[in-house]
Formats: sequence, structure tokens, C-alpha cells
Amino acid sequence: MANPEYIVEMRHITKRFPGIVANDDISLGIKKGEIFALLGENGAGKSTLMSMLFGMYEPDEGEIWVRGRKEVISSPNHATRLNIGMVHQHFKLVSNYTIAENIILGIEPKKMAGLFPVVDIKGTNEKVAALSKQYGLEVDPTAKIENVNVSTQQRVEILKMLYRKAEILIFDEPTAVLTPQEIDFLLQIIRGLRDQGKTIILITHKLEEIKQVADRCAILNRGKLIDVLDVAATSTQTMANLMVGREVDFVVEKSPAHFGPEVLKVEHLTVKNSDGFPVVKDISFSIRAGEIFAIAGVSGNGQTEIADAVTGLLPAAEGSITLDGADITRSSIRERSDLGISAYRSGEEAGLSYIPEDRQAVGLVLDFTLADNLALKNYYKPPFCEKGILNHAAFDSYGEKLIQEYDVRSGQGIHTITRSMSGGNQQKAIIAREIELSSKLMIFVQPTRGLDIGAIENIHRQILAERDKGRAILLISLELDEIMGLADTIGVIFSGEMQKIAPAETLTTNEVGQFMMGVKQA
Amino acid sequence: MMMDTLHTLIVETLPFALPLFIMAIGGIYSERSGVTNLAVEGLQGFGAFMGAFAAVLVVKKFMFFAPDSQMPMYIALLFAFLGGMLFATIHSVLCVKFKANQVISGVVINILATALTGFLTSQLNESIFGAASSQFKLIPSARFSVPLLSQIPILGAFFTNVYPFEVIIIVVALSAWYVLYKTPFGMHLRACGDNPHAVDAAGVDVGRVRFLAVMLSGGLSGLGGICFAYSLSVQFSPSIYMGYGYLAIAALIFGNWQILPTLGSCLIFGFARAAGYNLPLIYDMPVAFKDLFMILPYVVTLLLLVFFSKSNRAPRALGEIYDKGKR
Amino acid sequence: MKQKSGSIGPVFRSLMGDEKRQKITIPLLAILLSLLAGAIVFLLLGKNPLTGYVSFLRGSGLVPKANYAAHKNMFTDFMSFVNAWTPMLFASLAVAVAMRSGLFNIGVSGQMLLAGLAATLTVGYSGLPAAVAKPLVLIICAVTGALVASLIGFLKYKWNISEVVSSIMLNYIIRYWVSFCVKLPGISDPKTRQSMPINPNARLSLMDTEIFGLKIDIPLGIILALAAVFLIRFLFDKMRLGFEFRAIGANPKAAKYAGINVGRNLVASMAISGALAGLAGATYFLGYVGSIQPDTLISTGFDAIAVCVLGNSTPLGILLSSFFISVIDKGSTYMSSSVGVRQEIGALIKGLILLFSACGAYFSYLIERSRQKALESAGVTQSGKEEERV
Repeated sequence: MANPEYIVEMRHITKRFPGIVANDDISLGIKKGEIFALLGENGAGKSTLMSMLFGMYEPDEGEIWVRGRKEVISSPNHATRLNIGMVHQHFKLVSNYTIAENIILGIEPKKMAGLFPVVDIKGTNEKVAALSKQYGLEVDPTAKIENVNVSTQQRVEILKMLYRKAEILIFDEPTAVLTPQEIDFLLQIIRGLRDQGKTIILITHKLEEIKQVADRCAILNRGKLIDVLDVAATSTQTMANLMVGREVDFVVEKSPAHFGPEVLKVEHLTVKNSDGFPVVKDISFSIRAGEIFAIAGVSGNGQTEIADAVTGLLPAAEGSITLDGADITRSSIRERSDLGISAYRSGEEAGLSYIPEDRQAVGLVLDFTLADNLALKNYYKPPFCEKGILNHAAFDSYGEKLIQEYDVRSGQGIHTITRSMSGGNQQKAIIAREIELSSKLMIFVQPTRGLDIGAIENIHRQILAERDKGRAILLISLELDEIMGLADTIGVIFSGEMQKIAPAETLTTNEVGQFMMGVKQA
Repeated sequence: MMMDTLHTLIVETLPFALPLFIMAIGGIYSERSGVTNLAVEGLQGFGAFMGAFAAVLVVKKFMFFAPDSQMPMYIALLFAFLGGMLFATIHSVLCVKFKANQVISGVVINILATALTGFLTSQLNESIFGAASSQFKLIPSARFSVPLLSQIPILGAFFTNVYPFEVIIIVVALSAWYVLYKTPFGMHLRACGDNPHAVDAAGVDVGRVRFLAVMLSGGLSGLGGICFAYSLSVQFSPSIYMGYGYLAIAALIFGNWQILPTLGSCLIFGFARAAGYNLPLIYDMPVAFKDLFMILPYVVTLLLLVFFSKSNRAPRALGEIYDKGKR
Repeated sequence: MKQKSGSIGPVFRSLMGDEKRQKITIPLLAILLSLLAGAIVFLLLGKNPLTGYVSFLRGSGLVPKANYAAHKNMFTDFMSFVNAWTPMLFASLAVAVAMRSGLFNIGVSGQMLLAGLAATLTVGYSGLPAAVAKPLVLIICAVTGALVASLIGFLKYKWNISEVVSSIMLNYIIRYWVSFCVKLPGISDPKTRQSMPINPNARLSLMDTEIFGLKIDIPLGIILALAAVFLIRFLFDKMRLGFEFRAIGANPKAAKYAGINVGRNLVASMAISGALAGLAGATYFLGYVGSIQPDTLISTGFDAIAVCVLGNSTPLGILLSSFFISVIDKGSTYMSSSVGVRQEIGALIKGLILLFSACGAYFSYLIERSRQKALESAGVTQSGKEEERV
């Protein structure tokens, strides 16, 4: 029998994928008109669970009840008919269509133009305008998606659900791509939707958001439901502990810093994007040997572009970059890292290493073997290559050495095709490769993204060890905890401008947060 | 002299430009849905083969029509459309269902079309018509001039010596435009070429839309092919594979994957060809010069891509295999 | 129903083997399927497919015929087969070099044609002695092909123009340009409407050479082509350049990140591909055929794409797949006359093989799915057992 208290009830849901149990016997109920949060780390099974409610997968075991009736939700269309809507983490919009066209896609209203039925665009524009007014989601129905910003695109996704008369709205990590103001605005919208009687399910791994808006919160860990809590009565710390499955140590053990000479000096750096629009504006900073310089900021405020400019992936439009006394502003990518690779032979320190944000798209050639990837930065140097001819034995012995030292695990050792390795081991491979270059400067961008707690701690320890060896480290992260825990010096970036640079111990998390939002001007 | 020449050129432009246009629309249908279609060449050839075969069959085997009847031509047009659709199913299956590489699939279909139609034409001639021939002879299409309108200076050329298929192509092209830009199916089709995930999320089956788009693409190409058979050679033979399918691809790129600008590019290409074939005759130059004129469409398309690469934009998801699981 | 798929699945999976073995088994499956399809065509025409297929081999000098004309035997047949095979081998290698670097060189036919024209006009009608003319032909063809193909690479690197599109445009620009040149008086042969036959000194195949009472076609180019197979293999397995090509082919972003100059490698890869295409043109127009036909873009360059896929884009694979396709191609004339069917059947079977070779991705998908299903059903039975225990 259905529990009349719940609008959605999931009973004993189990979902397996090859090699993993994504959801293990999960039962929970969601009340009409509440904001219900699903909290968990990456890979905890939150998205899988909600994908089943939205009809994208079918559960292997268990039942889904909606409004007191047992339903087998076979497709997103079916979910839509049950008035369930979902905003995906990756927006699903047609870039060369207008906002209104995107909203009606799949359920186009028709009218007659003379003898022929045509899609009623004009009527749609009016309807969309009315709808956006009703829910306070301001959009211009005739604007093309490719010309509007991310937060507007998200509003379009919400309008798409509302246009389809959704009563149960699922948001999958909706704040990941937004600036702080946009996040505030979104949370306000979500509250507004609840006040109009909608039921909201919020998938997130950010505790603050849950604290701000959610009524109740289910915590998932490794596919299992840990607990369902009343948010108002629970502390953030408790939620965090439950999410991770043990006591979370927000503080990393860190020895006192010993700064050496200046290694990297960036002066008046300006970087432009492909449209010629400056995304990094007149930024200056320097990093000394043995120093972790962390750049804090909300995603998309120019921090990755700083890393790309220092490594040479993007050209510097203005300003200069000096590495170890040498002006590298116009040097090629190879010239910059090359300095570091000679170290493999001579044992000297020079050049730079770079752990990029997107390990699969940038950091690795997934179709190469692990051995090839581990030598990706040195393959052209002796002993790997002499006079243009490769020495595979050198690749193999170097690879063996690295997977031993850095505990990189894979099915067939160094001959494994990298694509088949787990994300954590792929990241280990990149970090092994880059640390082994013995560079004076190491750049880490989001080094722990998508990894589990154990792997994160391991990487944090490695970063600190490199710093203690006297390397200069540029750390770029979206996780404020990571920055507060590791950094010696913190630079806060907002909208391409450096808001503040100060020793880590002089700043509180709260202050950094405010600088990240561009609120507090130094 | 000058005026006469221009008149001749315009009269000769349309019978080439319009079949090319309808083939290019076929290409647009496929490519706007996100499926690269290099198979236009093979599809038009197979369509022409089917059309010509149907026409010869009704005349020689079943003797349905008077020797000078124009009916077989209309039957040929219909069967060319169906034949093109049939053959395009291979491209659909390979690209949509089998997730094969679209470029390779296109190339292979062209190879297969040449081989298959060459074989079938000879074989069918022998076994059905008892003739040893590698071609199907067609009954020449009548041409007409619109009274009054054809008398207008210069513009009248558009109404002079018109093939009936030109009218049909214009009607089909208008319908194709209407379907692509004004109907839900057209909206889904164009959306598939930009972001198939959005289409899927909207509850529309991407595979189905693309499958149909490629089949329509084949039908339109087949129609273009049989029109070429009537206007260029009055027969079907492997000489139908002259590379005009690839010219149609150039035309649609030049037209930025939109129907109306593509009409413009087809007219320009058709005019260049008419000039190439007629000017050497009129001005007593070696015939080889027509080849130089035929270079023009390809050169201008290439130059367009070089100088306007920013504003010339292929559909965003073109050539991308859609995998539901991937995000 | 479930039982049945359960019984076929494991056999199918074990036959096809793991990912490494599938590189061989999948092309073999494609060939098998197309030969079956071809057999059906033979049967429909009332002919014995086996006789049909053997006569392809006879026509290519791989199996002895019942009788031979004067000065001919199986070896002369084989040599004239090799003469036809050489350009196909070069062309397929050309496609492979580009494909391993993530590029589609569908302009091989055009590159062959322009190379053939360039060598024909400069050396083909000159009175240069053979020792000078032949190497010169090779150099001119390789350089011409390389220039055309690097232009394609440059357009992609500089303006991001799809190499497929620019290849098509250049194919036809070349086709019409060559037609124009070949039709000019003095070059056009009024009898054949092709270009005048080239001077035997410049020809890369020694035609109808009398040795031991036999009249043999000696394709000198095959030595070079076989050498090219091993050079390209060496390039990709052992050389830094090949490593970089593979990197830009597999992931250009990662290649750039690793400091590889993507643009320069892209152009270099196309240049090598084009040089091979040029050599294909040399051995086709100045070897196998000896003249240029106007108004045609030969199919070799397009066939080569599918041959390359069939050979898994590896030099040794291509050695086999191009050999196989050429047997069908070259043997079809004899097959036609001896079995009494149309010669076009050869082209048809070739087309079918190429069609099935394009389905390789689907075959591996089928294998993968069958494996996943087996895994899943194993998982289900396991949990089923667990339930029983509870």
C-alpha cells in the first residue's frame, strides 16, 4: 500500500552496472511541496537514483510509487506524463534555436497557415513570456541559446519543465556552473517554486546549499542510503561525516613553510578567449620555491586560463611570465616544460609540470598504453628516443618504475590501454608523470575533482611533499576547503581580476568566500 | 549576340541547376540531422537506375503506353525517389543503427552503387529485355515554353524550353523547405544536427529522426539523379556517376546548409557549367575549355571556406555518432 | 529463446576473441559475410560459387588455369596481377598514414591523378634515358602528391576546414584540370581519346618483357611499395614522428598539452600520405596503364579508404587486404569469361566486401553487448541465489 504522506516513494531500489552496484536497496519517500536534497560524494549513486525516477534507467529491483500508484517509468516521456521534470547537469539545449523553440521542442503547438499546419512560434513566444513572468524566471523568448549566458540557459531548462506542467522537479548539481550571485538567485527561484506547490529534489554535494534551502536531506554513500535527516535540526559537520562515511578531517597536517627564491613571476597578465574578450585581466603574482600559491574562485572566472597561459596552451595577450629568471612569455609549450625534462637525466630542477583540469580530454591519450602516457612528456628525449627512433625498452622500464613508486593500478600493468583504467588511477598516472619531471614549478588544476576521499587525501599529501621538497606550486581549485587546507598564499580571482593576495593564515574561509563573489574590495 | 548568348546560357542553366538543387536539399536533410552524407553521388545514381529501369520496364515489357507518351517519365521520377530512399537505407542502417563512421559509409555506398547498378543494368538488359547493353535508353522528355512569359526579354529564358521535371523539382523543393523549417519533424531534424541530446531529452527518438532524414535525403538525391538522366544523356548508364553528387555537396556547403542560399549556389554552378559548354561552341574555342569552367564551382567553394570560415558553419553535431549513454 | 542466445553467444564470443584478436577476426568476418553474399549472387545466376571464386584466383595467377596463350603462364598472370596491385597498395598506405593521424585523406584519387599528369607532361614524353626518367617520375609524383595533400593539411590547420571537404573540392579541381590538359592537341591521342602513350623509358612497369620465352609485365614499383609497407610500419612503431602522429590522431588536445606541435605534424602527416598517393599515381598512370584517361577520377583512391579500414589501418593488415581486393579486381576479367557471368560481379563482390568492412564497429559492438549480457545474466543468477539463501 502506498504511504499517503509521500508524492514519490522509492522502495528497495537496486541498480547494477557492470562491475558496480550503483544503488543498493534504497528506500525513501518524498513529500509533496518540500525541497528534498540528495547528498553524496561523486559516484555515491545520487544521479543514478534520480535517473530512474526520470525514466532514463529501469531499476533492477524495487518499486517506484508516484502519487500512491506503482509505476514502471519506462522513458523520460513517461516521466513527463507523470509530471516529473529534470534539469540535467549538462544542459540539453539546441544552440541555434531560440529559447521559445527549445522550450516547445518535442511538443510543438501547431496552427494553420493557410492550408498547411505549421509550428506556432508566435503563440509560443507569448506563452513563454507569460510563464517566465509567473515564476520570476526572466528570459527573452526570441533570444538564441548560443547568445545567452549559462544561468539563462539554466532558467530555460527550468521553464522547459514548467511548460510541460512538471510538479516534481529534479535538479542535478544545478549550482556547479554558476557564480555566487547566480547561485543565490537560483536558490531563491527554487524556494519560490516550492511556495507555488512544486516538489523539488535537489542533487548536490554542497552542504551549504542544502543548509540554505532544503527541508529534508537523504545521504548516500557508495550506493547505500545512510540516513534521511531533517536539515534544520542537523549540523553541517554531521552531514559531512555521514556523507564521507567517517570523521572528516577538514585540516590537513602541514609542516611550516620554508620559502626559497622566486620561481614564477607573472606580471600584468591579460588573456583573451577565442572571441577576443579578456577573461584574465591585468593579473600579477609570484610564487617562491617551497610555496603553495592557491587561486580561489568560482568556476569560469579566469583561473584555468591563468594556468593555460603559464603553460603556453593559451597565448598571453599582454604582460609577461618569468620562470626561474627566464622570460617564457613567448616560449612554446615544449620549451617551457622541456626545461624540466632535462632534469630526468641531470637531476637538476627546472621547467614546469602541469596537472590539467580535464584529465581525460587533455592530460592523457586514452587510446595509448599506460607506458606511452607515462612518457608523454619525455618520449622525445634520450633514453626514450635517439635520432628520431624510439626505444621501447626505456618506455617500459620507466613505466614500471613509476607504477611501482606511485602505486598506479591497472589490469595489464604498463601495457594497459589507459581508457580502461579507473579515474583515480588515471589521475595517479598523470601526477606520477608530472612529479617525476622534477620541475621547479608544478601547476595543479582541480587535482582531486571527482575522486573519492582516500585518493584526495593521498594527492594532498603528495602536493605538500612536493612543496616541502622546495618546488613552487600553483594550485587552482574550486573547493575552498582544499585551498584553505593546503595554501601558503591565497589569491582570489573574480571575473578575471585578482581581488586579493594574502598569506593563507591571514584569511578566513568566510573572507575568501566574500572575495570570490567580488563583494569585498581590498 | 550578347543577349542571345545570355538567353541560351539561362535556358541551359536550369535543367542542370535544379536537379543539382534537389540533390543538395537531399544532402541538407541528411547533414542538418547530423549525418554526414558523402553518399549523394551513389544515391542519385541508384535512384536514376531504379527510375530508368521502371520507365523501360513499363514501356518495353508491359507496353503500357504509346511510344511517345510522357507517362513513363513520371513513373521514372517516382521510382527514382523510391529507389534513392531504398538505397539510402543502407546509409541509415550503417550510420544510425550500426554507428559506423559516416565518411567511410558514404564512400563505400558510392563504390557499391556504381558496381551494383553497372551489374544490374547489363544483367537486366540481358535477362528481361534480351538485349546486350549496359544502358537503359529513355524516351526523351518533351520541353515546353510558357506562352507570354517566355517572351519577356532575358527573364523569359527562365520560361523557355522547360522540362516538366523542373516544375516538379520546384514543387518538391518548396515542400522540402516547408517540412524542414515549418513542421515539428523539421524542427526535430535540425535540432538533431545541433544537439541530439536535447532532442532525446525532449522525448524524441534521435535515431528515428536521423533514419528518416537520411532516407529522404536518398529520395531527393534519386530524384535529382533521374532528372540528370533525362536532361544530360536521355539514358541511364554508369556515366551517370560524373561527380555531380559531390558538386551538390559543394553547393550545400556554399549555401551554408540552408535551402534558399543553396538554390543560389546551384544557379551559379549551373550557370558556370552552361557557360563552359556553350561559350566554346559560340566563340569557336577548343571544347576542352569547358573543363576549365567546371573547375570554378569547386574553387569558389574552397575560397569561400578560406575567407568566410567564421560565418560558414556546418551543423554542430555533424558526423557525431549519437550514443544515448554518453553525455 | 534465452537458451538459444545463451548457446550461440559464447561460441561467437570465443571465436571473435578479445579486443586484440578482434583486430583480425572482425575483418575476416566482414570478408566471410561478403563472400557469402557473393555466393548467393552466383547461385542466383545458376553458377557454382566455388568455381567462381577459384577463377578469381586463376585470373590473378594464384591457381593454374587449364591452358595458356603463347608466352603466358601462371607466373605472367601473377606478375600482371602485381602490376595492378601496386597502386592499390600505395593508395591504401596513403590513406592509413592520414587515418592514424586522425585525418581522412579522401583526396587520394585526385593526388594520384595530378601526380600522374605532372610526371607524364614533364618526363613521360621526354627522351630521357630510363635510368634518369624512372627515378625522376617517382620523385615528381611523390612531390606533387605531397604538395596537394599538405595543402589539405594546411587548410585544416590554418582555417579549420574539414579535410574531407577540401579533399573533395581538390579532387574535382584536379579532375577537370587534368581533363583540360589531356584533351589539348598534342597530348590527346585521337584514336584512344586518352593521353598519348608515354615513352617506355619513363614507364615504371616493363611491359611484355621477354624472359625465358615468356612475355612478362615487370612492375618495378612493387619493390618500392613493399619497402613502403615496412617503412610505414617502422614509422608508427619505432619513430618519434609516428608517435606524434598517433598522439594527434588519438587526442589532439592531449598532444598539444604534451608539447607536440599539432599543426606541423598534421601537415607532415598529410605530406607523407600525399607522397604515397603520388607514388600510387606513378605506378598506376606511368606503370600499370601508361596513359591518362580524361573525365575520370579513378576509383582506386576511394577503394583504398575501405581497404585501409579492412586492414585495420596497419601496414601489414593493408598488405593483406589490398592483395585480397586486387585479386577480386584483377581476377574478374578471367572469372567473367570462364564462368560465363558478367565481369561487373567482381566489382559487386568488391563493393560488398568494402560495405561489410565499414560495419566493423558494429561487429565489435555486438561482441561487447553479448559479453555484457553474459555478465549481466551471471550477475542476476548470483543475486537470485543470494535471495534463495535468504
